[in-house]
Amino acid sequence: MNTPIEDGNNNLRYAEYVLGVLDADTRAEVAHEVLVSGEAATAVALWQRRLMPLTDTIGEVTPAPYVWARIHDALQLDAPARVTPRKGLWNNLQLWHWLGIGASAVAVALLVVVALPRPTTTPTVVNAGYMASTIQQDNGSTGWTATMDLQHARMVVVPATPVALEQGHAPELWLIPAGGKPISVGMIARDKPTTLALDPALLAQLGPTAALAVSVEPIGGSPTGQPTGAVIAKGAIGAAPDAGGKVAMIGVRRADRNRV
Amino acid sequence: MSVSSPAERDELNRLLQQAGRNDQKAFAEVYKRTSPKLFGVCLRMLRDRGAAEEVLQETYTTVWRSAGSFDANRASAITWLVTLSRNKAIDRLRQHREELLDDPSRLDETVDEQPTPAAGAETSQEYQRLQQCLDELEPQQQSSVREAFFTGATYNELATRCKVPLGTMKSWIRRSLMQLRTCLDQ
Repeated sequence: MNTPIEDGNNNLRYAEYVLGVLDADTRAEVAHEVLVSGEAATAVALWQRRLMPLTDTIGEVTPAPYVWARIHDALQLDAPARVTPRKGLWNNLQLWHWLGIGASAVAVALLVVVALPRPTTTPTVVNAGYMASTIQQDNGSTGWTATMDLQHARMVVVPATPVALEQGHAPELWLIPAGGKPISVGMIARDKPTTLALDPALLAQLGPTAALAVSVEPIGGSPTGQPTGAVIAKGAIGAAPDAGGKVAMIGVRRADRNRV
Repeated sequence: MSVSSPAERDELNRLLQQAGRNDQKAFAEVYKRTSPKLFGVCLRMLRDRGAAEEVLQETYTTVWRSAGSFDANRASAITWLVTLSRNKAIDRLRQHREELLDDPSRLDETVDEQPTPAAGAETSQEYQRLQQCLDELEPQQQSSVREAFFTGATYNELATRCKVPLGTMKSWIRRSLMQLRTCLDQ
């Protein structure tokens, strides 16, 4: 047992620590003591028990759902990020998901069939059909599904799992031509579908050798015209199921490469 | 969302222990039951929604990683959680202390504010006991203790806010703490 004076002094420090009046250095000292000394930990726990009831007077405030989504993402938990997604959006996501997965499967199958070397010409990209891309996060989960409607020169980007971003930041979608610099497609929403217009320069670059990527940028978009933040998702571009012309193109390109 | 009844407290203790064994469902349940309380605490101390959200996120990330060290014999789960969120909030206040001191309007906001029980908030027996002991303090000392607890301010900041010398503030708070301990441990 400590002498009353020692006990008093030590106890005061623990009390001050729990109350929260110590400066940063002294706080760190006491926090360390709590880790290494059972006695200090007990003294601090007693003060917590004495003072923490003051928080009873603080009203509860339910945090926004994206806080849980951020925690969920930061810890890479497996449980669903949203327990009860809104129905309309969910149905939509299912549809787009299916479209994205279907597109990859068809593309793979056709690559196998047509990857035999044969002479052919390179068809133009812009004429018909749809292309699709499943834009995946590093952990393998789908971040967005992009469907490109070449005829109408537009792209619909649908989030699969809303990603968590720091405040003041938003996802920006980039098209990366093989061996080329990223070209900005536009800002996309993290939690709802976005429709983007594709200008002719972008359309010309769309194809199975190009990729899509999403980087984290300031709300208004990258200030430099090139990605400045972390790339959080990437995806190859493939043909969508009903894109007859495009599917042929994938095979042709692949065939050409084999011939070289 | 309340964790005030003994049965709810026990259940929360169990859930937090399960979370400590990597049970994600239990962790999600702990978040669901306690995040409004912890967010209220963070908002009260930081007075900025974005900062409070960040501290709340940090808190639960730490909860997931260190729930294994939670010891129900030492503190209840809700005390453990609230303490963790307060510590994170205070750490953040210390990091941003200079900015806050440079901005007198931020300090003025909190001067002389008397926290009162939130409308409809149920207070525990422990709170009522603590309140009785606080009522035995001199009014100025009682308000200094409350101000310290709810704003996470340092002695220096408190002295500036209350316009008293640092030594006076220290002795007010220290005397109050010792008096509270005597009163509460009776």
